Amino acid sequence: MSDLQICQMKKQYPQTPKNENTAFSLQAVNLTIREGEFFSLLGPSGCGKTTLLKLVAGLLAPDTGEIWVGERNLTAVPAEARQFAMVFQQSLLFPHMTVEDNVAFGLKMQKVSKKQRLAKARGMLKRVGLNGYGTRFPDALSGGQQQRVALARALVTQPRVLLMDEPFSALDPSLREEMRELLSQIQKEFQVTVLFVTHDREEAFYLSDRIAVMSDGEILQVGKAKELYERPQTTKVALFLGLKNSIEGIVENGQFCSSEKQFNFSVGTTTPNGQCHLILRPEALQLITKESVNPSDGICLHGIVKEIRFSHGFYVVNIHTAEYFLECNLNSQQVAHVTIGQDIKFMVDAKDLWVVQNK
Amino acid sequence: MRKNLPFAKGVLLLLLFFMIALPFVPLLLSSFSFGWQWPHIVPEAFSFRAWNYVLTGSSGTWQAIGVSIFIALIVTSINILLAIPAAHALVRFSFRGKWLMETILFAPIVIPPFVAIMGIHLTFLRLGLTETLLGVVLAHVSPTLPYVVRAVMVSYQTLSVDWEDQARMLGAGPISRFYSVVLPHLMPGIIAGASLSVLISLSQYLITFIIGSGQVVTLPILLFPFISGGDPAVASAYSLLFAVMAIASLVGLDVLLKTYYRRKKTRQKTAKGVTT
Repeated sequence: MSDLQICQMKKQYPQTPKNENTAFSLQAVNLTIREGEFFSLLGPSGCGKTTLLKLVAGLLAPDTGEIWVGERNLTAVPAEARQFAMVFQQSLLFPHMTVEDNVAFGLKMQKVSKKQRLAKARGMLKRVGLNGYGTRFPDALSGGQQQRVALARALVTQPRVLLMDEPFSALDPSLREEMRELLSQIQKEFQVTVLFVTHDREEAFYLSDRIAVMSDGEILQVGKAKELYERPQTTKVALFLGLKNSIEGIVENGQFCSSEKQFNFSVGTTTPNGQCHLILRPEALQLITKESVNPSDGICLHGIVKEIRFSHGFYVVNIHTAEYFLECNLNSQQVAHVTIGQDIKFMVDAKDLWVVQNK
Repeated sequence: MRKNLPFAKGVLLLLLFFMIALPFVPLLLSSFSFGWQWPHIVPEAFSFRAWNYVLTGSSGTWQAIGVSIFIALIVTSINILLAIPAAHALVRFSFRGKWLMETILFAPIVIPPFVAIMGIHLTFLRLGLTETLLGVVLAHVSPTLPYVVRAVMVSYQTLSVDWEDQARMLGAGPISRFYSVVLPHLMPGIIAGASLSVLISLSQYLITFIIGSGQVVTLPILLFPFISGGDPAVASAYSLLFAVMAIASLVGLDVLLKTYYRRKKTRQKTAKGVTT
């Protein structure tokens, strides 16, 4: 097994006189990325995900901490000898070389004979859907094609780990989705370990086996996409994943009570007492119509519809309940019964009530 | 506005002609003249005497041209070798006293060469470098280096560290990185700097005269006595020859680099042609 292990990795940037607030630092990071896994670092810009990636790559030196691949400690190995590959936000194709030579560059550095490396490069170009583009120069390619070449160039050397730093964020949305599918296919085909940095949660959810959510130089939570989404451990994670219905409250003796007393339900005795937030996923709010069965457990609410917006495939409905604005997702059939200003009833299943502790 | 464009173009062309081409006309006339005195607009008599003297016989013109170009090329090579690391350090790193280093490097542009050369002369006398080709070459480096450093720095500033990082991630060590990523990017800057360096070195008179003490004979050394009162016809012929030399070496440099690039490209093209 050659898992990628990051142990106690820390980086503190020196305080600059220009920047008066505290200098950025990366808190001790511990991660284990399994061989062949697609692992994403998800977080807002400036949260330290790129710093972490560069530390793993060896382009930055950590203050403390170690990098292991399998049984080998790579901490002291320079970036060029780690046999990692990296795809940057820009394609960074060498402009004075043809596409083929660009792809073959890594093999050239490994002293592979010219015939072999060109053959391999062409094979890889074919794999990313650029058959016959080898003799062109990079400036004759579109942005998406350039990023494909960058991907081919990174993979042709069969790296131990492929590092990707927001590789698709400079592309337009439809192209981004296309590249996402290509990357997913290729990753499965080559069984390469990928460490992927992004601020786009959809991208992370689509591609990743596991995701680490980062904020302010710290890893907040690591888990599968579904785990993170349904069971966020902090309000920060919830907020970053787009879960806007967050209701402040307090847990006492296994009973959650919102600060405005509107929500009051049992959360079980396992939840410790203290300040906390109730997270309601927008799709967990279910409209109650005449046909729908009354809930056995869970809570019922009612509120006035303030706004209905169409978002690809479903509707986002803003509801003003007694004390809170809640956002819920409805499909077009459900929306047919709803008009702005109407007082509607809806319910939340007990299993969809998720309470997180304030930290 | 649009209508006036051809007219403006014509005026500019004419201006260019008057500024650059016209001064050569009297020079040409003078070089073929046999006594050309005021108030005559054209010389009374023509002869090939001046050209005969300059191009043949014991004047040593050809050797002077050779020495001039030799010095210029060596000086330029030294400049390039010095300028690349200097530009790298000045652009990439921030260190204590950086402004001082920059000031020292660019000082020769601002300070009159005569001031510096007196000190250099004294030092070279002690080192025994005066009257030698090596001494002259070293002395020529000081007024030319700032231009090369400046030009290479501009190129370096447009080279993002990401490119080198990318090459690193593909397994390229420091030498491969420099050769396959940095150098191609710096090429335009190096060419611009080298052209300036060649021109400035060719036109040095004072430095060559003081350090070379008349023993290192470049074309300006031959030219100067004729200008300052000797023979205007011969001076004119030398001036024209100097212009030709300067233009020829610039064009030569340009052609050399262009064919280098072209050969590289066609080599790539033929390689492709064979394989596909």
